[in-house]
Amino acid sequence: MFALLKHSREVLGMNARNLEYVRPLNRKRGREFADNKLLAKRLLRKNDLPVPSLIGRIKTHAELEIFDWESLPESFALKPNRGFGGEGILIVYGRKRGRTDAWVKASGAIVTVEDLKTHIRNILDGSFSLTNTPDIAFFEERLKLLKLFKPYAYRGIPDIRVVVFNHVPVMAMLRLPTRESDGKANLQQGAIGTGIDLATGTTTSAVVGKSHIIEYVPGTRLALSGIRIPYWNEILRIAVESQSVSGLGFLGADIAIDRDRGPVLLELNARPGLSIQIANLSGLKSRLDRVKGLKVKTTERGILLGKNLFGGEIEEEIEEISGKRVIGSVEKVKLIGKDGKEVIVEAKIDTGADSTSIDTDLARELGFGSLIDFFDSFPKPSVQNDTEAFLIQESLRKEYLGKHEDLKDIVFVSSSNGISFRPKIRCQLILDSIELNPKITIASRAHLQYPVIVGRNSLKRFLIDVNK
Amino acid sequence: MEYSQITQFIVDQNVPAQTLALLLLLPVVATLASFFRQVVGIKAFGIYTPSIITFALLAFNPNGLKYGIVIFISVIFIGMVTRYALRRARLLYLPRVAITLSVISFSMLGVLIIGGSLNRTGLAGVSIFPLLIMITITEKFVAVQLEKGTKVALILAAETLGISLVGYVLISWQAFILFILAYPWTVLLTIPLNILLGKWTGLRLSEYVRFSRILSQK
Repeated sequence: MFALLKHSREVLGMNARNLEYVRPLNRKRGREFADNKLLAKRLLRKNDLPVPSLIGRIKTHAELEIFDWESLPESFALKPNRGFGGEGILIVYGRKRGRTDAWVKASGAIVTVEDLKTHIRNILDGSFSLTNTPDIAFFEERLKLLKLFKPYAYRGIPDIRVVVFNHVPVMAMLRLPTRESDGKANLQQGAIGTGIDLATGTTTSAVVGKSHIIEYVPGTRLALSGIRIPYWNEILRIAVESQSVSGLGFLGADIAIDRDRGPVLLELNARPGLSIQIANLSGLKSRLDRVKGLKVKTTERGILLGKNLFGGEIEEEIEEISGKRVIGSVEKVKLIGKDGKEVIVEAKIDTGADSTSIDTDLARELGFGSLIDFFDSFPKPSVQNDTEAFLIQESLRKEYLGKHEDLKDIVFVSSSNGISFRPKIRCQLILDSIELNPKITIASRAHLQYPVIVGRNSLKRFLIDVNK
Repeated sequence: MEYSQITQFIVDQNVPAQTLALLLLLPVVATLASFFRQVVGIKAFGIYTPSIITFALLAFNPNGLKYGIVIFISVIFIGMVTRYALRRARLLYLPRVAITLSVISFSMLGVLIIGGSLNRTGLAGVSIFPLLIMITITEKFVAVQLEKGTKVALILAAETLGISLVGYVLISWQAFILFILAYPWTVLLTIPLNILLGKWTGLRLSEYVRFSRILSQK
C-alpha cells in the first residue's frame, strides 16, 4: 500500500498531464503546429529536419475535380491535414498491373480513382479532423520498411515515439503495427508499444493496446525486448530539435526509419499518450520532475542528460535474464570481520586477479591482527622461481596450516616485486547486496589506491560493466 | 412543504417549483459528471450527454426508469447496427447520421406500437421530449464510433448510462430535492467544488488500475 502511494507520485496521470504540462507549456501556436501537418512539414523542412516529402495537396472540391490522377506515383500515403490518432490515412504500395487509375493496398485490396475521390471528399468535409471542420487532403511519399523491423511489424511502418521536455528526451517507445491496429502504429488502435532504454536505444518491455503486457510478437516466439534501434542518436537529435522548432514545451515526436533515408519525422504531438509509461514500466512524472528547471543549452547536452538520467533500465533486464548482477569496475564493499566488526571500503573489481585480497592494515582492523603477527613470526626463505616457490608453499602449508584458527591457506604470489608468501583467511564480504564468504589473501596494499581487490573467486555471480 | 424565503419568493413569481428544482439540480448533476471524469476516470460522452440523460430518465418517471434504460440501450444498439449496414454505401457523415436517426425513429415508433398492443401503458405514456433526447444521443455515439471505433463508443455509452443512473438516483431522492429547495444557496457550493476538481492533479481511480503494473513494482 505504501509502495502504491509512493509510486503514484511517479506516474503521470491525465489530470496532471493536462493541467501541469499541456496547458501551460503548449501554447496555441505550438498546438496549431502539432495539429496542422502541412504547416509542421514546411517549418520542419525549413529547419533541416527530415520529413516525408509532399507529393500534392487538395484543398477544395473544385481542386479535387481537376486533379491529375496520373501524376501520382506508384506508391503514396494519402492523409488528412488535421487528422489525429492515425485516422483517415490511406496508403497504397503500387499500381495495379496494367492500369494507371488503380492502386493496391497492403491488404491486396484495390483502390481506384473513385475510391480516392470518396476518401478525399470525406477528408475535405472534415470526417477525420479534430473538430469535424473542413480539412485539406494531401499526398506524401510512402516510407519504406526497414529490414530489421520486418518480422515485428504487421503491414504498416513502426515508429518511435520520443517524449521531450525541456530539451531533454525523457522517455521513448517503439510502436509496432499489428493485425488488430490494421497496420497503424497507434496504441489506442491495438498496436504494440515497446519501451526503449534511452541510453542504448535497445527495447525493454512491451505493452499491447492500452495496458496489456506482452513478451513476444503475438503468435510467434519473437522476443520484443533487446531490439537494437538503428540511428538512435540521430533519432534523439531530431526529437529534441523538433521541440525547439515547434515551441511545444511538452512534446511527443513520432519518428519512423525509412529504408533509404534513415530517420524521418512523421508527426508532432502536443498531447502525448500516457501508455508509454506502461511500455517502459516506469513513471513519467518522476522523470519530468528531474528535468524541470534545468538549463539545457544545446541539443547534445539535452541528449546526454536524457541518456544519463533515464538510461540503464536494460541493466535490470540483463540481470533478470542472466540471473547475474551488473557491477562497475569500482564498487563499495562491506567486510564483516571477527566479532562482527563491519568496514565499508571501495574495492577494485579485477577479473585479472585469481582471488580477492585485502590490505594488511584493513585485515588488522577486521580483527585478524593475531594471525598477521603469527604469519610474520615464522621464517620464509627467499625463492627465485615458481617451482621453488611451489615447493616452499607446500612445506609451509604442511608445517603451519591448522596451527592458527584464522589461517585457512598459504599461497605464493608472483609480482613485479618478486615472489612472496601470503596468508589466506575466510571473511564475509557483501558486494552489491550479495553476501559472499570467500577466501581472502592478506597483502600489503598501502601503496595502492584501493585497499581491496575483488578477484575472480568472488565474481561468479556478477557481470562487469566497465562504463559504470 | 417547507420552503426557504428565497424559494418562496421565486415560487410567488409564478416560477413552477418543478422548474426551480430542476434548474437547481442541473449544477449538481454537472458536478457529478465532472467528479466522475476527474477523480474516478469515467469519461462518458462529455458532460452534456450524461446530464441530459439523467433528466430524461427522471422525465420517464414514475416507474419509467426501466423503459428509459431499455430505450437508451436500444437506441445505441440500433445506431450501431445501422452503421454496419451503411458501411458499404460510403456516405458522407451528416447524411449517414440522418439515415441512422430515421431508422431509430421508426424503430422507436415500432417499440411504442408493440408496447401499446401489449398493454404496456407505461411505455406508451412516455412523453416525447425525453424520447427525442434519447434518440439524439445517437449523433454522439456515431461520432465517437467513427473516430475511435465501436468498442470505445460502447464503453463510453455504458459509462454515460452509469453516470446518468447515479445522477438519477440522486435527483429522484425526495429528501435531497427538499433539502435543495429549503437551502437553495447550497447549490453554489458546486462552484468551489469544481474549482478543486479543476485543479486536481492526482491520479484518477481508473489510472490506478491502468498503471497497476508500474505502481505495484517493489
